[in-house]
Amino acid sequence: MARTSQPLRPRSNLRGAPALRLRVGFVLIAMVLSFFGARLVQLQGIDPGSYAAMAAAEGMVNVVLPAARGDILDRNGEPLADSVDGLMVVADPYMTIDQAPEIAKFLARRLDVDYFTTLQRLRTQGSRFEYIARRVPSTLATDVVKAATEHGFKGIATRRDPVRDYPAGDVAANLIGFLGTDEPLSGLERTFNAQLAGKDGSARYEVGGGNVIPLGQNTVTKATNGADLHTTIDRDLSWYAQRVLRQTVEDAQADSGVAVIMDSKTGELLAVADHPTFDANAPLESPQADLGSRAMQDVYEPGSVEKVLTLSALIDAGKVTARTRLTVPGSLARQDRVIHDWFPHGNIRLTLAGVIAKSSNIGTVLAAGKFKAGQLRSYLVKFGLGQQTDIGVRGESAGILPDPSLWTPQAQDRIAFGQSLSVNAVQMAAAVNTIANGGVRVAPSLIEGSATTEDGSVVGTDTTTTRRVISESAAHQMALMMERVVDPEVGVAPAAAVPGYRVAGKTGTAQRVGADCGCYDGTFTVSFAGFAPADDPRFTIYVVVQNPRNGGGGGSVAGPAFSKMMSYALRRYAVPPTGTRPSHLPVVW
Amino acid sequence: MSSPAVQIRSRIPRIADAAVARARLTVVPRRRVRAARVPFVTLVSLILLGGVVGLLLFNTSMQQASFASTALEEQAANLSARQQTLQMELEKLRDPQHVAADAQRLGMVLPGSPAYLNLSDGSVTGDPAPATPDNRVRLSAAPPVKPPSIDPRPIHRTARPPEGTPLGPDGSTQPGDTGSGSATNGGSGGRNEPHKNHQSQQHQNQLQNH
Repeated sequence: MARTSQPLRPRSNLRGAPALRLRVGFVLIAMVLSFFGARLVQLQGIDPGSYAAMAAAEGMVNVVLPAARGDILDRNGEPLADSVDGLMVVADPYMTIDQAPEIAKFLARRLDVDYFTTLQRLRTQGSRFEYIARRVPSTLATDVVKAATEHGFKGIATRRDPVRDYPAGDVAANLIGFLGTDEPLSGLERTFNAQLAGKDGSARYEVGGGNVIPLGQNTVTKATNGADLHTTIDRDLSWYAQRVLRQTVEDAQADSGVAVIMDSKTGELLAVADHPTFDANAPLESPQADLGSRAMQDVYEPGSVEKVLTLSALIDAGKVTARTRLTVPGSLARQDRVIHDWFPHGNIRLTLAGVIAKSSNIGTVLAAGKFKAGQLRSYLVKFGLGQQTDIGVRGESAGILPDPSLWTPQAQDRIAFGQSLSVNAVQMAAAVNTIANGGVRVAPSLIEGSATTEDGSVVGTDTTTTRRVISESAAHQMALMMERVVDPEVGVAPAAAVPGYRVAGKTGTAQRVGADCGCYDGTFTVSFAGFAPADDPRFTIYVVVQNPRNGGGGGSVAGPAFSKMMSYALRRYAVPPTGTRPSHLPVVW
Repeated sequence: MSSPAVQIRSRIPRIADAAVARARLTVVPRRRVRAARVPFVTLVSLILLGGVVGLLLFNTSMQQASFASTALEEQAANLSARQQTLQMELEKLRDPQHVAADAQRLGMVLPGSPAYLNLSDGSVTGDPAPATPDNRVRLSAAPPVKPPSIDPRPIHRTARPPEGTPLGPDGSTQPGDTGSGSATNGGSGGRNEPHKNHQSQQHQNQLQNH
């Protein structure tokens, strides 16, 4: 082509001399290039970062990919706490200020928020972001925003806001704890937060008109979802225990109550009920004092329930048997004080089984006199008193088992029947469960499998330890003795019996130490601990009621609650009666 | 390798020189063939055009896919939110408290003592007993006790009918006259026979009056 056109070019010199043309052309090019160069220096030399950021911001979207928080499940996989996608409804007052009353009325009706608060927020001067409602289920929030747009209201939008839901409300709330606005505030939620929380991911991509630009820049870091926490709690049983406990506490006009239900063989806690408790969905409606776990954090003197530990240790030491005969006087003068029984009597002749069945302090003290120095304390340590159970509940109190240097004979007298030492409820339940489990203490556990707490210790059923405390025959004798407690003729707690089953148990009525004076203030802690079926125990239940004002004792207040919970547990787990002959140990001689 | 070959060639007798010379190969002059330009240009143009159009279509389809994915993602988010909300409602319905409240409304109570029917031989273990209203578990907390300043004790007065008030046929005064005396009706139920109860109450008042 070029070849053919070349001869056709006629008057080339009309454009000026080639040298001149070249020079002009080069000058033009140099000018343009120097402009480019100047611009390049401006862009790259002076503040390159801000331009890069501006370029990146143009159409670039950064999104946090939220990690789903792990659920807290009960032993059957029922959720005690789960996370639901939720949204927050937010407003831009700059846009809503003109229509504030109408929008507030609309939102108050649809979202169940306060009209006046909302109105005030919609009118906030100088703000462009106000919360209207938080943790709203997604469907409701999107419906409301859609309806608001249809009404012509502008400035209402939604943002992501996961909802933590506690489907069973107050069931096991004292253990599970609750989440604050952005972080866990108490209970298992906080202790196992590292496991539950997971790790948020992020995505960064270019958008055009709301759509991802294909082949555009796109980086995604996936979120790591939180792992579920499996507990040994049985939701239904726990619910029932809490209702029975509440009824018991209310009827006795008591201050508070605790119930612990434990699997006798494995030490798994099926329920740790507290009353008063709180609704985990609305924790702020309850007083601060009710938000913790009294079963773990409060200590008290166990009273006569402790006689079970004293006397079974004594049997194990070979000092006595269930049929050992004791002559129990009406009162017993010891070094520093006179010990009485809860019922007035003259000289009575009780067997050791009778001492348990009648809950005689004097009989216990007389029997405990046969211990060698330090022997009782070492047994109680082996029963787990004075040490934390470490089941993964925050702020557990270890209880107080007096130091050997303070262990005087007078102290031993009182400790023998459960005063002058303090325990927490789970600790005591585990100690009584030692009798149920044939003399082997199995450490209680609340977490199925294993989990790592905030402070790095591993807890759970995988780390359960067992240790033999008393011989199997001592435990068997004690179980037979404890059966006499619920006997309608000879025992003090017939109300704790479960018809058709052999039940072993022990009442406790202890003097309470007042908060202010540091002395016994005339109020009582009443309790009942027991297990069934007595000859093949499946469950150990411990019910404690603090300061009943109806004059009731362990047998009449805690006993019926124990009976209800036990019969529910036995039915729920389909434990048939063993059908063997109940204990007929003599109580008197 | 080459030196033996040379030796062999030198030993070959020179025969038929002319024939050999005639038969010697010569380079054939190159035939200058001008390939047709049009098909080539057409092909290249077509490839270029096809490429451009294809790229355009590919890009468009990717854009379409991106639109679709945005819409589908939104739909998926909505549906999963809906599923979760429904799940939450389901959990609320399965809440033991809720189930128990519904059951009690239907008049159900928890049985008192567990008993088992052995299906193989029809024997019963345990202590079967009918459930009674006493087995009912109180599901909600008792209402808070109000201080006396908010909830003052009711004041009961027994009014003596004025002299000469006509007495009813059964010896009682008219119901209106003894209205304030019903404090003695403490906790008695009397839901099934309110009228009878009312009458006995009047008798009671009568007894107090005299």
